[in-house]
Amino acid sequence: MTKKVLGSDPFTREGDDESKESEAPRPSKRPGAKSSKRPSARPSKRPSAKASAGEKQEITRAPKAAKVPAEALIDMDASSDAVAPLELTSDAASDPTAANAPIAASEPPEAPQAAPIKSSNADEDSAIDDVGAEASVSPATSEALANADAPAEASAPEPEGSIEDKIRALESQLDVLLARAGRERTPDPHDEVALVPDELPARSAQGGGTVREAQRAATDEETQDSTSDIATGEFYAKQWGRVALRDRAEDVDEFGLDEQFSATARPLIDALYTKWWRVETHGIENVPDAGRVILCANHAGAVPYDGLMLAAALRREHPARRPLRWLADDFVFHFPFMGVALNRLGAVRACQENAERLLRTSTVVGVFPEGVKGVSKSYRERYQLQRFGRGGHIKLALRTRTPIVPVAIVGSEETHPMLPTGPLAKLLNLPIVPVTPTFPWFGALGLVPLPAKWSISFLPPISVDGYDEKSADDELLVGRLNEKVRAAIQDELDARVRQRRSLFR
Amino acid sequence: MTDSTGARGRAVARTPRARRTVALTGAVGFLGRNLIGLLEDDDRIGRIVALDVEQPTTAGRKTRFYKVDLTQPTVDARMAEILAAEGVDTFLHLAFLASPTYASAWAHELESVGTMHVLNACRERPVRKFILWSQTILYGARPSNPNFLTESHKLEGNRESRFLVDKIEAEAVVQRFARQMPQTVVTVLRMAPILGPTVRNYLSRYLGRRLVPTLMGYDPLMQFLHEVDALAALKLATMSDVPGVFNIVGDGVLPLHKVIELAGRSNWPVPAPVAKPAASLLWAAQLLEAPSSWVDYLRWICVADGERARKQLEFRPAFTTREAVLDYAGAQRLRDARLLRA
Repeated sequence: MTKKVLGSDPFTREGDDESKESEAPRPSKRPGAKSSKRPSARPSKRPSAKASAGEKQEITRAPKAAKVPAEALIDMDASSDAVAPLELTSDAASDPTAANAPIAASEPPEAPQAAPIKSSNADEDSAIDDVGAEASVSPATSEALANADAPAEASAPEPEGSIEDKIRALESQLDVLLARAGRERTPDPHDEVALVPDELPARSAQGGGTVREAQRAATDEETQDSTSDIATGEFYAKQWGRVALRDRAEDVDEFGLDEQFSATARPLIDALYTKWWRVETHGIENVPDAGRVILCANHAGAVPYDGLMLAAALRREHPARRPLRWLADDFVFHFPFMGVALNRLGAVRACQENAERLLRTSTVVGVFPEGVKGVSKSYRERYQLQRFGRGGHIKLALRTRTPIVPVAIVGSEETHPMLPTGPLAKLLNLPIVPVTPTFPWFGALGLVPLPAKWSISFLPPISVDGYDEKSADDELLVGRLNEKVRAAIQDELDARVRQRRSLFR
Repeated sequence: MTDSTGARGRAVARTPRARRTVALTGAVGFLGRNLIGLLEDDDRIGRIVALDVEQPTTAGRKTRFYKVDLTQPTVDARMAEILAAEGVDTFLHLAFLASPTYASAWAHELESVGTMHVLNACRERPVRKFILWSQTILYGARPSNPNFLTESHKLEGNRESRFLVDKIEAEAVVQRFARQMPQTVVTVLRMAPILGPTVRNYLSRYLGRRLVPTLMGYDPLMQFLHEVDALAALKLATMSDVPGVFNIVGDGVLPLHKVIELAGRSNWPVPAPVAKPAASLLWAAQLLEAPSSWVDYLRWICVADGERARKQLEFRPAFTTREAVLDYAGAQRLRDARLLRA
C-alpha cells in the first residue's frame, strides 16, 4: 500500500486485495490481473447467492466509474498547464493519510488470505522466473500467465486438494508473477513497489492458519450486509427509480423527444388510432415526401389527442413515414404528467423561436392555430373554427418560406366535449378546467375518450413561394392568407361532417 | 446592449497585446481561483491582480494580491487606485455567489452594490475591457419559455429570490455602463449551471443527496456547463475582444430524472402544490440547498441557446451536458466513498 499507487489510481478501492493492488502499479497490467483473478475467486469466497449478486453489481459498476474521470482528473492535476481547477483531486492524491484510511478500513477481511500460500509456492516462482524477466511487461505477463497455469495444475493433482486450494494457489502465483514483473521494470528509486515482495513473508507468518475463519467471517458479514441492504429505504428507492425510468431513453433530442418512450407508447397510440377511433385519412399525398412543411389543423378536446393522432397518421400512412413535431399550447405544460408525456412524444411548446428552430431541420411541424380557444370551445360550437390566433403560423411560413398544408380533423371535437367552465377557470387562474360530462365525475374512467369515428383530411398545400421574407410584416397579406387557410379547413370540415352518417360510423 | 453590442461584435478585431495585466474580483471563488492558475501559465498575460478578501491559493509568480472587500463603502476609490497603479487592461468581475446564502443582506451588498463599486472604479480609471460573469438561470424558469432562450430574452428570474434579483440588478448596471463607456469592451458571459468533478455549489450538493427531491409529474429539460468549459470561456473572453452578451452552455439537454439517474441517485417525487411551502420550511431549517424559488427550476424549462457564443466568440464546449453530469457523478462517487474531500 504505497502512496504512489494510491495517487495514480484512486479507483483501486474496487479491487479486492490491497497487496495485489500495490504489486500492480501499472494500469496497463491490472485489467489482466483482475479478469483472471475475479471469476476464480468468486465461487470460493462468496457462496451466498445474495452476496454474489452484490458482487456482480459492483463489477458492473466498476468500469463505468473508472471510465469517467479517472484519466482526466489525474492527467490534469499532474500537468499544471492543462487546467488547475482540480486541486481537490491533487489534495486527495498528495495526502496519503486521508486517502489511505478508508481503503484500509474497507478491505481488512480479505487481506491475509492470499499471503500464506505464496510462501509455499516459492519453487514455482523460480520455475517461471525467466518468463517474467522478459523486457516488455504486459505481453510478458500474459505469457507468464499461460505458462503458470500448467505447473499449478500439475502440482496439485491429488484429490484432497480442493478446488478452492487450487484456485488460491493460482492466485498467489499470479500475485508473485506480477510483483516480479513490476520489480523488473522499476529502476526508479522513488517507486516503492519493489519493497512489496520483501514484506510478504512477514505477513504470511502472522497470517497462519486462520484463513478459513477469516473467510467465513467475511462471508457472514457480507450476507448480513446484503440483508441490511434490503432493509433500507434506499434500496427500494433505487429499485423504484430503475423501474420508473425503465422505458426512458438515455438521451432526448434537443426539444425533449424520447425515442424509447415513444416506442413504448406506440402500441397504445396505434390501438387508439386503429381500434378506438378507427381513423381514416384522405389526401395524405398532399404532404410532400421531403422538405419542411407546416400542417395547420383544427383543435379540440380537453386532452389534446389530435396532435398524437396526426403524428400517428403520418407515421403509419405516409409513404415517407414522416415524423411530426407539433406545437402545443403553454397550458399543456402546466399540467403534471401530461405535459412531460406529450413533450417526450414529440410536442413542443408553441412559440416562434421553437417553430423556426424546428423548421430549420426540414421537419413536418403541426400547428393548431385555434390554441386554447379551440380546446375550450363548448360542444355546441364544435367544428366552428375559432379565430386563428394573430396569424403567427402564417408569418412563420412566410419567414421560413414553408408551404402550409391545411388539415381538417373530424371526430376529435366529440371525444372530450367540454362543459362551459369559464368562471371557474378564471377563479383557479388556469386557461381551462377540463370538466366534461364524464370527467371528473367518473374519476379516471372519465378520462376515457368517446369512441367517435375520426377522419383526417390533408388538403392541397398553400404555397408561399410568391412572397418574399419581408411580406411577413405585411399584416394585410398575413390576414388574407390566414383567412384562406381557415376557409379551406372550414369547408372541408363542413363537407366531412355532412357526409358522415353518425358520430360513430 | 444585447443587440447593439452584439452587432458590433465582429467589428473589434482580436488585438494580441503584449503582456497585458488582468484584474479579477472574486479571486478565491471557484472560477477566480482556477482562472488565476490558467492565466499564470499564459505568456500573453504579464500580471494578474487578484482582488478579494483572502489570498487565492493558486497565486503564483505573476499574481499580485490586494485585500479588497466589495461590501465596504469606500472600496471604489481604493480599487481605482489599484487599477491605476497596476495599469490594468482587462477587468474580470467574478465576485458573485455560486450558491444561495442565508446572509441575503450581505449578498446584496456584495453582488448588487459591489458591482456598482466595481463599475465606479472602472469609470474613474477606465479599463480597456470589462468581463462580467452571469448565469442563464437569471432568465427564469417558466412554462412560457422557448426551448432555447436567446440573449435577447429578458432576464425574468423570480423576483422573490434575492439570489437572482441581485445578479439581475448587477447585470443591468453593467449594461448601463456598457452604453455609457463605448470605448470599453464589455463582455457578459451568461453561463449555464456549472457542474464538474471539483466544483461545489448548490447543484452539486442537490445531486449529491441520496434521495433527490423532484416534482411529481414534472421532468424539465436541464442543461449544464462543465467546469472546464466555464474556465475556457472566461479565458477565451479575456484573450479575444468580443463585446456583447453570450450564453455559455454545454451541448444537449437531459431530463432532470435522467440527470439524477446518471448521477447514481434516486428521485423522490414531491407533489407540486406542497413543494414550495415545504421548500420554504426546509430552507428556513437549513436543510435545503436553495430557497423555495428554486423549485421553479425543477418544474419548468430554463435552457439557453449557445449559438451566438459559437459564432462570435468561437466558443466550443468540450463537454456536453451529459458528459458534465457523468464527470460530476464520477467524482461524487469518490466523495461518497470518502476518497475525495467533500
